[in-house]
Amino acid sequence: MSAWSIYACSGAAIIALSLYGVFACAPLLKRILAANLIGTGVFLILVALADRSAPAQPDPVPHALVLTGVVISVSATALALAIAIRLADRRSSDDEGGWP
Amino acid sequence: MTALDLVFDVVLATVMPVLVWRILASKDLASSVVLFVALGLVSALAWARLHAPDIALVEAAVGAGLTGALLMNALSWIGAEAGVTEPVSRATRVGVGILVTAVGVGLAVAVIHLTQPVGLAHEVDARLADAHVDYPVTAVLLSFRGYDTLLEIAVLVTAALGARLYAPGSVPGGDDPLSPHPRVLARVLTPIVVLVAGYLLWRGASAPGGAFQAAAVLAGGGILLVLARVLRPPRMSSIAVRAALVAGLAWFIAVAALPLATGAQLLEYPSASAKQLIISIEVALTLSISIVLLMFFPGEPAPGEAARHPEDRW
Amino acid sequence: MNATVAAVLLVPLVAALAVALVGSRAARYVAGAGVAATLASAIDLARRVERDGPAELHVGGWAAPLGILLRADGLAAVLSLAIAIIASTLGFVTVARTTGRETSAARFFAVWLFAWAGSNALVLSSDVFNLYVTLELVTIAAVVLLSIGGERGALRVALRYMLIALPGSLVYLVGVALLYGRYATLDLALIAERMTSTPVTWAALWLLVAGLVLKAALFPVHAWLPPVYANARAIVAALLAAIVGKTAFIVVLRVWPALPHAFAASAGPILGALASGAIVWGSVLALRQVRLRLVIAYSSVAHTGYLFLWFALATPAAWEGAVYIVLSHAFAVAALFLVSDTLERLGGDDRIEQVHGLSARLPLSFFALALAAASIMGMPPTGGFIGKWLLVRAAIETDQWWAVVVLVAGSLVSAGYMFRILRLALTTAGPIERVHAPLAGQFAAFVLGIAGFVLGLGSGVVLDLLAKGFTP
Repeated sequence: MSAWSIYACSGAAIIALSLYGVFACAPLLKRILAANLIGTGVFLILVALADRSAPAQPDPVPHALVLTGVVISVSATALALAIAIRLADRRSSDDEGGWP
Repeated sequence: MTALDLVFDVVLATVMPVLVWRILASKDLASSVVLFVALGLVSALAWARLHAPDIALVEAAVGAGLTGALLMNALSWIGAEAGVTEPVSRATRVGVGILVTAVGVGLAVAVIHLTQPVGLAHEVDARLADAHVDYPVTAVLLSFRGYDTLLEIAVLVTAALGARLYAPGSVPGGDDPLSPHPRVLARVLTPIVVLVAGYLLWRGASAPGGAFQAAAVLAGGGILLVLARVLRPPRMSSIAVRAALVAGLAWFIAVAALPLATGAQLLEYPSASAKQLIISIEVALTLSISIVLLMFFPGEPAPGEAARHPEDRW
Repeated sequence: MNATVAAVLLVPLVAALAVALVGSRAARYVAGAGVAATLASAIDLARRVERDGPAELHVGGWAAPLGILLRADGLAAVLSLAIAIIASTLGFVTVARTTGRETSAARFFAVWLFAWAGSNALVLSSDVFNLYVTLELVTIAAVVLLSIGGERGALRVALRYMLIALPGSLVYLVGVALLYGRYATLDLALIAERMTSTPVTWAALWLLVAGLVLKAALFPVHAWLPPVYANARAIVAALLAAIVGKTAFIVVLRVWPALPHAFAASAGPILGALASGAIVWGSVLALRQVRLRLVIAYSSVAHTGYLFLWFALATPAAWEGAVYIVLSHAFAVAALFLVSDTLERLGGDDRIEQVHGLSARLPLSFFALALAAASIMGMPPTGGFIGKWLLVRAAIETDQWWAVVVLVAGSLVSAGYMFRILRLALTTAGPIERVHAPLAGQFAAFVLGIAGFVLGLGSGVVLDLLAKGFTP
């Protein structure tokens, strides 16, 4: 068994576990974490596929795709956390900021 | 590949899903967050093993570092017990469980069968000279698939506009007297942070590194300064902050649209100045991305802030 | 053509950045200008495609498989024009209502323009990973729009929407990863050339489709949709229902011609079965709702079913029908949400009883309601009729009589719930006085209703434009 396939299977397991987490965990924070972790699993598969050419140089395209994906993933997680914080804040009243 | 390599890889590849399981199954949110940071560091090792140093850098700085900081900050609000919960029925859980097991197994089997090492490595190497960049990943990011990067920065800015639901300084907490350690740490580390970030940015043209890695390191340094109360967290009401936020994408779009004037394609950098244009884009992006990442972190209250209209208004 | 396509993509981005820079006081002026400019660029794109035919653009000058290809064909032109009409109408309504004192104005308009930019990028793209990035831009913009204002209900649905849409995109991405791992390309045309029917390919394609099906809220994973439509601000709900909710389907539509026949032949009927379920379930549930917003929501679930019926019918006529339903439903549902918004502002909530006497109280809103309802029911000469007619014809041509039954039954039930509302609106018994409601929202709803009509009357022109560059 080569290295890349081991990591690819690991990625598949992470995707499965995280998908379960998004739909089956109760605390909202855990669901946000799970959504983030699905990304980790997908990126693991992408990078593992790029390393199939070892010991030659890996394929740079999946690396670029994963970098893009990580940035998007962080953006989504940060946004979700900001909303979750606002939801958990019992001080906040409804409708701040004025909206037409 | 030696037996030791194989054992190391197997251990690493097994630890990661186990960590994911523990993160999602633990009753205490605080341990979930800590394990998440640990997973980030372990996966950085995995990226390194898979010959992906750029991703390892970004994962360690952004995935483990920044996201970990955001999570811990969120925890201080939500509380370590549970926060907002939406209970799920047993039937749903069983159903989802069966479905994801099928998906996971099917996925693993499918991936293992992809043994042919097909890829675009050859094409990238062949056209690397035309891209005027020495490093393949940077060439893909900013040259061949630069359009993806442009849209991704738009995603980042959009999320930044949305995540600023709270103006910094309206978040309560931190009444305890400031310990001296963060300040000392900040004073010692800041020059190193700037140096490392600059180096990563510069080296990105020919080795692992680049705008994201540099921005992530800068943002980490920024968070440290905010926590040490040396730096005020950036506020959207300041036009300088908005300008910095906007500058990266704006410059990227300007450079992307420039070739249209000569009848060329979008993002078709003119050959003569391609290298300089790419570097300029990277610098502008580093500035914007680091501000965005820093703004994702709400920060601590300054004394005397009004809490009545906490929304970050601009 | 290069400059035109670039304008469609970049103008809304630049406008969004300008709005973010100037802040809330001047946001509506900059946003108004940005909206107008983007609308102009979409009109220009449609004109160019009509005049010069479709074009394929290599971004950065790099050919596939290395670079990203954009396809400016009839579908892209028609969709971007429809998106522009809806986004600008809704945008102008908001500009009219903004007084300059709202603190969320800059945030709203900037993110609105980002959502628009993402949608434009999506309809033009011909690269499976680029489609993922555009999907995420639209999703994240939608989440931000949902959360603006800070009411707990809105925040909840924003988070709930994100926790569905994000996993959907990521499942799609796994499919993309597998496809790349097998065929070493992300370009749709190259994938079409290289794709063979292997089990791994099928697994990849099923994941791709499953992720998009979740995002599109196709039965049976539709349950997340009605609460979102019910609790969002009306303008945001309108954008979500008309544009954002269609993006996942548009991606499947784009990808489908590239798939091997064996897969399409086996997956088509399955999607068709789910689509039938959507039509039946959505229409029946719409009949039982007491709130206008939920009627719209379940009607949207049913209409997603009409869209996905295409994969079972798989003829060029059915393709045109599906696109027509995308367009007509988008116009109709945006109009309906605007009408609902007017009613909510007057009466406090969106219970159907609010519609009582609408024809006498607010004639303009009533006309908008009637036009939109006609399109939803599929009455001639609206766009909705053309779409359903094309689908029925395709079903007859391919001897799939179950589809005919489902289409007709769905239309009859939709007539049921729409007529109920219209009848109530026409009932003028009892004390009815003319009221005054803000004109902007009413007029916009009316415009969108008319657009549905024009879509039907001008079907020749639209279908000609659609045909440019299409190979089913």
